[in-house]
Amino acid sequence: MDVKYLNPIIAATDSVFQTMLSVKPEKGEVSIQEDLVTDKEANVIIGMTGDIKGSIVYSFSKEMALKVVEAMSGMEMEELDKFVTSAMGELGNIISGKATTGLAEQDLSCDIAPPQIVTGKNINISSEADKVLMVKFNTDLGEFDVGFSIN
Amino acid sequence: MIWREEYKIGVELVDEQHQELFKRLGDFIQTVRSDQENSEKKKEVERTLNFMGEYVVTHFDAEEALQKRFNYPDFEEHHQIHEDFKAEVAEFQEKYSADEYDDDFLLEFSGRLLTWLINHVASTDQDIGEHINSVKEKEEELK
Repeated sequence: MDVKYLNPIIAATDSVFQTMLSVKPEKGEVSIQEDLVTDKEANVIIGMTGDIKGSIVYSFSKEMALKVVEAMSGMEMEELDKFVTSAMGELGNIISGKATTGLAEQDLSCDIAPPQIVTGKNINISSEADKVLMVKFNTDLGEFDVGFSIN
Repeated sequence: MIWREEYKIGVELVDEQHQELFKRLGDFIQTVRSDQENSEKKKEVERTLNFMGEYVVTHFDAEEALQKRFNYPDFEEHHQIHEDFKAEVAEFQEKYSADEYDDDFLLEFSGRLLTWLINHVASTDQDIGEHINSVKEKEEELK
């Protein structure tokens, strides 16, 4: 699996956080994993079809998801309710949409599916992929991971 | 809702309307998340949703009129985004009033709206500002 596919996703993540939240994500470690296992509680899964088939998974800690939605709404959020997860799902949708524009510049034509939300602790998100590329990000609002699995 | 200076597109009318739209969506969300008695809450949800929905139409019309006046090249695409959004709000209004949607769906709808509107204003609409201001600059030079 080629790491260059990851670059449009990293660029889109960076751009969306800066534009919408005035937050600059710092890219941390990139790793290759066998499975998509996350210790983070708010997960947004975006399925991808077309020249690349697979999925992008955005995994936010509960604290970060609450802070992001607070930074947008100006209201206090206490739990990962449907309002919070849906707002985060749309964020994943927007980042992924922008990433497909970046992939199109590498002559890869991809479509994305509506976001699916998975919440809870120590989640194993199964996929048909053998390998998952994972990038860690750190922001003023907390930490999150972006995983990209290609089938 | 939180308004940021960076969300401005540099066209006064549009920036003012965006702030009003943020305010109205904020009122709607506040109502959605409030702990009111059910029938009372439903009335308030409908009222704030209609109040926001009306302004969505006012604002989109005004913004599209400006786009036309300045021959905005992406007018058609932007118009379609507006139409899709209006249709989604209208469908929600109708089904919510007819008791076809539960509280979870109301939370999901308003959460998605929050992120959608911020992105639309902070990102998608920025190109309109750039276009209008560059046309204005050229007009100034020709004077």
